[in-house]
Amino acid sequence: MLGYMWQYVYTSFLRYWLKWLIRHVTGKCELQRICSGHKACATTTTKAEYSLRSSKNKVLRGALETSKNNLEQCVDQIMKEKNVKPEKDPLFKESLHICLLQITGYSSLFISVEDVRKEVFTSENPEHEAMLLKLWDLLMPTVKLESRITKQWGDIGFQGDDPKTDFRGMGMLGLINLVFFSENYTEEARQVLSHANHPKLGYSYAIVGINLTEMAYSLLKSGALKPHFYNTVLGTPELRHFHQLYCYLAYEFDKFWLAEEPESIMQFNQYREKFHSIVKTHLQDPGVSLTLTVHSQN
Amino acid sequence: MGLLTILKKMKQKEREMRLLMLGLDNAGKTTILKKFNGEDISTISPTLGFNIKTLEHKGFKLNIWDVGGQKSLRSYWRNYFESTDGLVWVVDSADRLRLEDCGRELSALLLEERLAGATLLVFANKQDLPGALSKEAIQEALALDEIKTHHWCIIGCSAVTGENLLAGVDWLLDDIAARIFTAD
Repeated sequence: MLGYMWQYVYTSFLRYWLKWLIRHVTGKCELQRICSGHKACATTTTKAEYSLRSSKNKVLRGALETSKNNLEQCVDQIMKEKNVKPEKDPLFKESLHICLLQITGYSSLFISVEDVRKEVFTSENPEHEAMLLKLWDLLMPTVKLESRITKQWGDIGFQGDDPKTDFRGMGMLGLINLVFFSENYTEEARQVLSHANHPKLGYSYAIVGINLTEMAYSLLKSGALKPHFYNTVLGTPELRHFHQLYCYLAYEFDKFWLAEEPESIMQFNQYREKFHSIVKTHLQDPGVSLTLTVHSQN
Repeated sequence: MGLLTILKKMKQKEREMRLLMLGLDNAGKTTILKKFNGEDISTISPTLGFNIKTLEHKGFKLNIWDVGGQKSLRSYWRNYFESTDGLVWVVDSADRLRLEDCGRELSALLLEERLAGATLLVFANKQDLPGALSKEAIQEALALDEIKTHHWCIIGCSAVTGENLLAGVDWLLDDIAARIFTAD
């Protein structure tokens, strides 16, 4: 209760008085103090985002919803509003620009991801079909698929004879993630698949992949991935950055599963939750970067 | 007073029921569970292992077990049979190709000793899909009329629209309650 009252008093009055005081002592506004002279990273961008969101000024709050093309103009406007002289603080403009690209980029990344997720896999679409067959070829280069509908799909961890019903709520996002991992980290993907086909510790490779896509999606939606993207992408994050994150999850989950040695696949949801908490704990760290690092020779 | 009566009295106090939801993969078990519980159903992925939900309905505490239906998981179903009061068998009414498979799995379940006392509710799901078979057709394909060992009922429903989910669960609860809570 006391903490709640303090919070109220602080955000409604104290914060403004404090800002006003520091501004007059240092001659710099809050945004300048956050952005200037700091490297772009999650701490800077998160602070800038908070500062803009709680600002009384419409221009500053509006910056969070500005489209990418108008951002430069928007930065100029903010500098005018806040009376920041470029000659006095040359680093400010670029730094604020990057922050805004990251902040607005996160929202637009979610919109793009959502669009892909809503695209339902259908056998009538030749592109979808081609992608599914590509997944097979990437994972099983030496085995030919006997027909489009076959038990063989079970070998890469789909549920039945036709994978089309397995994408469900994740739609094409699930398939694209699976293909991206197999295409960009072929060795790793095949290694993970071979673990998944272990007689005792095995799991359904593709189905687990679709479940991990759901994990990545919900982390993105909740905003939990902000520090990760603010640290790893100096600008607007794109779909491929989301797929990269999936690769990290797929690779790390496999390591986690093998180390935990679950009794059987029936325990999947418990371990999924445990892994989810580990990832969320990583994301609490301002320096977080969930990148798949490969120790290969090439 | 026999042991059975004591057990029944104990259950009566708690008014707790255990429901087991099974069916082939992609039948819609998890979607039914989530829809019934008022959760978002747009981002469901295939179930590996199981989900369990405890919810209150009509003064009963329901423990609903939703176990994954893919072939490699079916051998684990037996681990969830113990003290099941109601079995919910979910059918994808639009999946004509696997209806035979579906009937075979159900008949095998009904022979299980540990499910002998359970009431059977068959959900002919996905009635909202254009190619869906009617509940009468499903009833015939699964030869439900031949079942003499269990109380059973078939209900056409749609997990996506929520149609008839309540009607099905209500019938199941009434039947179970009549068996275990009012017997003396």
